[in-house]
Formats: sequence, C-alpha cells, structure tokens
Amino acid sequence: MTTLLRSAPSLLAVLVSLLLSFLALAAVGDGPAHALDAFLAMGWGAFGDWPRYLETGVSSAVLRPLGEAGTKAALLTLTGLSVAVAFRVGLFNIGAQGQMVVGALAAAVLGAKLQLPALVHVPLCLLASALAGAAWALLPAVLKLRRGVHEVISTIMLNWIALNVVDNWLVTGPLRAAAAGDLSIAGTAEIAPSAKLPLLLGTGSRLNAGLLLAVALALVVWLFTTRFVRGFEWRVAGAAAETARSSGVPLGRVVVEAMLTAGALAGLAGAVLVLGTELKYPATLGAPYGFDGIAMALLGQGHALGVLASAVFFGALKAGGTRMQLLGVHKSFPELIQGLALLLVAAKLVWERLLTKRGAR
Amino acid sequence: MIELLVALLHSVLDAAPPLVFAAVGAVLAERSGVVNVGVEGMMRAGAFAAATAALAMPTPLGLLFGMLAGAAVAAVHALLCVQLRADQVVSGMALNLVMLALGTFLLEALFNSSSGSPQIAPLPKWLGHSPLTWLAVLTPLLVHAVIQRTPWGLRLRAAGEKPLAVAARGVRVNRLRWTALLASGALAGLGGATLSCATLDHFEHHMPAGLGFMAVAAMVFGRWSALGAALAATFFAFGDALRIGLVSSAPQVLDYVPQGVLLALPYALTLVVLALRPRGGDAPKALGQPFDPELR
Repeated sequence: MTTLLRSAPSLLAVLVSLLLSFLALAAVGDGPAHALDAFLAMGWGAFGDWPRYLETGVSSAVLRPLGEAGTKAALLTLTGLSVAVAFRVGLFNIGAQGQMVVGALAAAVLGAKLQLPALVHVPLCLLASALAGAAWALLPAVLKLRRGVHEVISTIMLNWIALNVVDNWLVTGPLRAAAAGDLSIAGTAEIAPSAKLPLLLGTGSRLNAGLLLAVALALVVWLFTTRFVRGFEWRVAGAAAETARSSGVPLGRVVVEAMLTAGALAGLAGAVLVLGTELKYPATLGAPYGFDGIAMALLGQGHALGVLASAVFFGALKAGGTRMQLLGVHKSFPELIQGLALLLVAAKLVWERLLTKRGAR
Repeated sequence: MIELLVALLHSVLDAAPPLVFAAVGAVLAERSGVVNVGVEGMMRAGAFAAATAALAMPTPLGLLFGMLAGAAVAAVHALLCVQLRADQVVSGMALNLVMLALGTFLLEALFNSSSGSPQIAPLPKWLGHSPLTWLAVLTPLLVHAVIQRTPWGLRLRAAGEKPLAVAARGVRVNRLRWTALLASGALAGLGGATLSCATLDHFEHHMPAGLGFMAVAAMVFGRWSALGAALAATFFAFGDALRIGLVSSAPQVLDYVPQGVLLALPYALTLVVLALRPRGGDAPKALGQPFDPELR
C-alpha cells in the first residue's frame, strides 16, 4: 500500500501527460482519429506489434521493437540511477549528460585501440567509462565541499565543457577515424568486435547485455540504499544534513562517494551506448539521455526500482516514437510526454494534498 | 588593426543581445529568490512564438508575442515554484525538456518541417544594427536602476535575501516573485525572439542551442547583478566574435588551440571564477527556498 501511495503521483502524472499530449496532437494534427493512429503506432513500436505477428513473424514484429525499447531502457536506467543516487544525498546531478559523454569517449577509445579477448576487453572498457564518468563528477563534489560552488551550476558548466571538448575537438580532430579511401568517416574508429556487448536476442534486434547490466545495477543501488549502513548514512545526509552531522556521519565523504557513484553510473551509460549500439563515438552523441535521467529519477521518486520502472516505460515509448514518424509526427513526441509528466510530478504539493487526508497537517 | 577592432565591435553588437536579454532576465528572477535554470526553455518559446507570429503580422509585433511566450513559460515556473513550492531546479529543467520537445513538435505540426520555420520580413536597421541591439544596451541599465534604486527593487532584493523580513513589513513575497519571474520570462523570450527575428530571419530547430545555459553562466559570472550579467554576456559574445574572426582571418590558430576548446572556454572560465571567489559571497541568501506565507 505504501509503495502504491508513493508511486501514485508518478503514475497519475504519466497518465495525465499521455492524455494532454494526445489532446495536443488531436488539436494541432489531423484530428482525434489521426492522433489515435499515431498513439497506436507508438504503442506497437514500444511494446511489440502483436497484431502483425502472424503476418511478419516474431522477429520483425515483436523482437525488434522490444529490443529497441530494452536498449533505450538500459540507457535511461543508468542515467536515471546516476541522478537518483546524487538525490539520495541531497545533490542535484544535472551533469549526467557530461559524465555520459566522457564515459562514451573512454569506451570508444579503449574499444578501438586495444586488442584483447572479449572476456577482458568488455569489462576493461566498462571500467574505464565508469572511472571517466566518476572523475568528471568528482570536480563538482570537490568544488562544492572546498569552495561552496553549487553543484547545479558547476555540473551545467561541465556538461558544456565536455560536449564542446569531446564533440567539437577530440572526435572531429585527434580521435577521428582514419578516412577509408576517399570516404571520410564521421566519429571515432569502430570498436573491435571483442569490445562489443553480446547481443541478447540474436542479430534481428540490437538488444544487448547493457540491459542486464542496467537491471543488475538498479538492484545493487536499491539494496545498497535500503539494506546497508553506508546507504543509510547517504539517506540521512540527504534527508536531514544537520541530524547526520550531529550523529557523526562525515558529510564530506558522503558527498564525494555519492557523486563518484553518480558519475560512474552515467559513464557506464556512455559505455553501453558505444559498446552496445553505436559501436563508436558518433559525430554527435544524439539523444540527451543524461537529461532524460533527471526525468527518470524524479518519476521514479528517487527510488532505484522506480527509476527502472520509468526507464522501461519511457524507453519503450521512445522506441515507439520512431514509428510515429511514418504518420507525420516527429519522433521526439515521447519526449513531450516525458517532459509533461516530469512537470506534473514536480508539483509535489498538489499530490500531497490529493493523497493525504484533508487537515492531516 | 583599428579596422579589425571595429569589425569585432560590430559582430559583438550583433551577437550579444540575445544573451544580454536572457542574462538580465535571469538576474531578475534569482534576485527575488527563485532559481531560473529554465531560461533555455523560455528562450526557445520566445524564438518560436516570435518567428511564427511574425509570419502573420509585422515583425516588431511578433517580438511582443515572443516576450509573451517567454512570460507564459515563466508563469508555469512561478505556478510550480512560488505557488506550489516545487523544487525550483526540477521545475526549470522540466520546462527545458518540455519546450525542447514542444518546439520540435510544433515545428513539424505547423510548418511540416524538422529544420526550420519559413522566412519572415527582416527588422529595420538603426545605425547598421537591429533596433534590438540598442534595446539590449539600454535594458541592463534600466533593470539595474530598477533593482538598485527603486523601492520595488529594494523589496525584490530583500525577498531574495530575507523573505521573512519582507513579509513582516506587510509586503507579499510571493507576489514579488511572480512579477520578477514574469519579467524574467519576458526578457528571456525577447532574447529568443532576437535569435529568430534579428540574428536569423526564421526559427531553427535547435534554437537556442545552449544559449540559455550560457545566460545562466553570465548571471553567475556577473555576480547576480544586472550590469555584471550584461557585461559577462557581452564578454562571452566578444570571445565568440574573436573566435569566429580569428578562425576566418587566421585559420592556423586552430592548430594551436582547437575550436572545441575555444567553445568550452566561457564555461570553464565561469567555473574558475566561481572556484576562486570567496565562499557563498554573491548568490542571494534565500535563493531556491520556497516561501510559505502561512508558516510565519
């Protein structure tokens, strides 16, 4: 019951935003019938095109959409966890995007430059990405502790530094793939086959072991924050800093630990993107999974399993968005739904008033 | 040499206004005690609304619609943060995400394009620049005077430092914050409108491409003062003009300092300045704290 009550604002927010975006589409598009078609297309693209199952077979109708959904869910889970972990100690990690960028670059470089057996190569790339992300997140933690710089500002700045230095310099300059004959190739060189994350559903779908990693890490974060003393310290530090200080929780250490973990998780998202689907650092990283992570963390109410649930749902919607394009709706439409849901869930006071009895305060 | 400087000055006068408007607007919001990281979304709304409205009416009127759109986004921010006491950073980032998606959606829905809106009639030029350039010179002075020299400005600053004291004087803190946010949104909207109506003559799908965050950086860099923020914004624009000028006149510069590093410099500088400054010096004391008038 308490779990239901805790997730109620998010569930209602998602439902209301689905409704609002449907109305928006019906209003500016070609009417409700067209909007319904578009939403159905999104649904089939998200959760499998079951009606066409008999016609086209399991592979293209079901496995491919589910695979795309799972691939996106893995990335959203990792960046969502990154933001949620920082939230636990009361920090706002807007920097997941930048941490993901440096993580992706680390995976792309080590994946392409090294020749190793897969059993060593993949973990090494993952480790490097986690370390790169953690290092990028350490700076805001230190600036906050030593110089009192608010992490929101410093992580925003670090996002743009990472984006410009990596996308506009390293990937177009020193780390750019060598041209193949007359054809110049955008992005870094392709990673070695040994660095690729194993595919889970065969070659018909891009779903890879990144999803397993993301689910496992969600479970680990959930166990850590709910069952371990250290995790309890984090929660106290986030919920009541003064209480934490007076009961001997070293706040500085907690802040550093949480930001390092947050950075590592976002860095791993970059690794999963590169080792799983992109297979190189592309010319531009594309979808802002790091910023989506903020939405996942808040819709998941900061809870690791809540993050996983919202990531699975919105990962699926994003995968379905590409099918809406066939009906003349931009593929970023699910992001509108996600943004509206985040906006609605942000209005905490409304939910508290709605869900608790009047006059309880 | 002189010619080069004049050319630089001209490109600063063209490039700085969007950033100046948005940064000064951000100062207004934050001095009242409300964090505004939603500038990016407000600028996007302004850019889109102005370019769309200017298709049906004279471009200067379109600018007004840009300001209205920015203020409308700010009204949602105020509703969430002031009225409903939501987390101000969350609300701002949520608005950014919504406006990013909404802009793309409306571009596709209204103009059937994923790259940009149709061209609009250009603004007239005054002394070689868009009238908005000269407005961007005046606005920071005006806003600075209002914040520093008027009774309303004093109350505004107090609402950001010690809202309880303001409330004790019988002034409604949340009303002040609403007004400040609406003005902030209108200025950010004007900044966006400048992008789509003066810098270019249509709305581009990626507008404002991070300029809103740059405006927040300029506000921090300029120590939460309207003049400081405007100077920082101009400094960033100058750096940008210098970069573009250097790259076109002496491309060999890029062999020593890569483009990406130059682009990252304003953000890195802001970070360094923040790190070197004395702790907790300039930000309004009550920044980010919602005010509940019933809990006094």
